[in-house]
Amino acid sequence: MITKMSHTTLYVTDQEKAYDFYVTKLGFKVNTDAVMGNGFRWLTVNPPDQPELEIALLTPLTGGMGFDEEAKAAFKILLDKGVLGAGVLYTPNCHATYEELKAKGVVFKSEPKEQFYGIEAVITDGCGNWFSMTGPKQP
Amino acid sequence: MALNPDIYKKIVAAKLYMDRRFHESLCLEQISRKACISRFHFHRLFTRIYQKTPHRYLTQRRIEHAEQLLTDKNLSVTEICNAVGFESMGSFSGLFKKETGVGPSQFRNREKEKKRQALQTPGLFIPHCFIQSSETNL
Repeated sequence: MITKMSHTTLYVTDQEKAYDFYVTKLGFKVNTDAVMGNGFRWLTVNPPDQPELEIALLTPLTGGMGFDEEAKAAFKILLDKGVLGAGVLYTPNCHATYEELKAKGVVFKSEPKEQFYGIEAVITDGCGNWFSMTGPKQP
Repeated sequence: MALNPDIYKKIVAAKLYMDRRFHESLCLEQISRKACISRFHFHRLFTRIYQKTPHRYLTQRRIEHAEQLLTDKNLSVTEICNAVGFESMGSFSGLFKKETGVGPSQFRNREKEKKRQALQTPGLFIPHCFIQSSETNL
């Protein structure tokens, strides 16, 4: 019986840029940063309050991911366009997190707006992905 | 009731100040001055926005940095305690254990061992399907 997701993958254009965004700017913790002899880098991070979830930051554009040239080219198009919606990031306070990340140079596609499910901004990671960044409506 | 957008900017400015200066001896008065509001209002607004008190936030930032120094640097635990802004080893060790579940020395040993294994046998940490893919394509 499957009981939870332990790992998920985010495809990124560049693992160093991804490290800068997810670790330095967002404050995710590095779980594993191991490089195989052939150069394949297994870089995983945990969101601060989810130590049991490993997010693998992997690049499909260089060798080592099992993709043929056609697949790599397709990935490049999608990542360069930044069209991949990778999920929802939770924040206890959308407005405050928006101000802080903007001050750190993070690019948003939209500023915080009230929706029926909470307050949402749209954030980009600079490596090909965007997320909904959502928090509760303020009491 | 939603807050005025300017309030967020002020509280964030104070938070970023704490992020830069956590290793110093900071008091609420100093931090709230960065937000240009009174101590009382700063404490209330910070807690409302971040769901933790400024003191708890500062402690966590110090412990996080201590984790990094314990992993990456060859400083003694006492040196690290002082470097991150704690004045007493007792309170540092106690708070470190409360936040991470283990004492500073135990944390350091555990991380060193993990790093050593990642260097010597990286395959231990990587699901085999990813290793197989990487071997057929490089």
